[in-house]
Amino acid sequence: MGWIEIWDNRIPLIDGFVLTLLLSVLAIVTSTVLGFLIALAQRAQLPVLDQIIQVYLWIFRGSPLLLQLLFIFYGAAYLGFRVNAFGAVIVGLTLYMASYIAEVFRAGFESVPAGQLEAARTLGLSRFSILRDVQFPQTLIVVLAPLFGQYIALVKYTSLASIIGFSDLLRQGQAITARIGYPFEVFFVVGVLYFLISYVLSLGAKYFEKRASRGKVART
Amino acid sequence: MSLFETYGTQLVGALGITALASVLSFALAIVVGTLIALARRSRWAILRVPATIYVEALRNTPALLQIFIVFFGFPAIGIIISPLTAGVIALGLNGAAYVGEILRAGLANVSPGQLEAAKTLGISRGSTLGYVVLPQAFRYVYPPLVNELLQIILGTSLLSAIGVNDLTGQSLVINSITFRTMEVFTIALVGYLIITGLVTLATRLLAKVIFKPPLPRARLRPRLLRTTGGTS
Repeated sequence: MGWIEIWDNRIPLIDGFVLTLLLSVLAIVTSTVLGFLIALAQRAQLPVLDQIIQVYLWIFRGSPLLLQLLFIFYGAAYLGFRVNAFGAVIVGLTLYMASYIAEVFRAGFESVPAGQLEAARTLGLSRFSILRDVQFPQTLIVVLAPLFGQYIALVKYTSLASIIGFSDLLRQGQAITARIGYPFEVFFVVGVLYFLISYVLSLGAKYFEKRASRGKVART
Repeated sequence: MSLFETYGTQLVGALGITALASVLSFALAIVVGTLIALARRSRWAILRVPATIYVEALRNTPALLQIFIVFFGFPAIGIIISPLTAGVIALGLNGAAYVGEILRAGLANVSPGQLEAAKTLGISRGSTLGYVVLPQAFRYVYPPLVNELLQIILGTSLLSAIGVNDLTGQSLVINSITFRTMEVFTIALVGYLIITGLVTLATRLLAKVIFKPPLPRARLRPRLLRTTGGTS
């Protein structure tokens, strides 16, 4: 059935798994930071920046991630920048996922009643203090579950890196089937490895979903 | 824009393939997804358990991997299929997992009192499903379904990885011939923005025609946001 051959190829599979994990963790950090900053900027409603963000969201949510990656990877080379596949994927994934994550944070911000902000302002809290002590704790509990949902999508999206030549988990799987055949078995193993990462994140999503609803019950 | 003069036909053809793949994948996703949703709400574990495994397996692995499994796996067991067919099957089955989850929420929204009322009125189980339950469920889930359609349209770009000349695949081909990277990919990008824009507009108009009373304003707008996972 090919399981022995797959076991013989465990080293490249583990390499791919580690690279996929690394790519995921890095992109999760960068896209969360960028998404948060975008949501903050949207909240400030600055005249020119607001329009730029609108266009950014429209383009990145309205076109496929793969095309965006190709654009960045080949486009950077065309403009004379030296970008490797890893760099292009990090930039592309960050810009793409941040456009969705910004939406999560925006919804989170909106879940804090406006009355609380007015109250905080009346009490003389500084703008930073309002953000840190009033908005952020309440936003955090609401956004964590949907954030983890986005992270699951992100992990799956890292597989597109294989198309532009990055040796992630999927790419290693392809290379192994090219050598030994057994596409069903090899891709099954690859799928199980993706499932592992995704499943851990979905446990996180479930946990925070419970936490968020517990908070809601306590508040009313 | 001499790129258009030389490759206009190919680009329009590629747009057609993207549209065709989207429509076929979405149709497959709706049909299989409805069955999955019904199976997951079934009384019998023999239907419920496989449906749950199906949804979890497909939603927790990349769509690109699923496309590879269909495209490289089937020839290995002697079934030869074209890249487009393989891609549509994979994307459709992937979408079905999401549609199944969306519809399950919709079905849960139809109150059990209505089922009892239908039973009391002597309506058969099939008619109850077809005339009472499903129309309401679909109405409730219309916005997330539109969202899923948009995700499937964007997901068809993955078919370029197995050699389908859709909009992304064709622009890769043209790029490798002309090396006019920026122009080619900008045209493709605009192509996708036009498709997603038109589909959003069309579904909004459709909702106005088919739903009486109209959907609430806030729910009408398909948000390009999904809570769990993306098509890829």
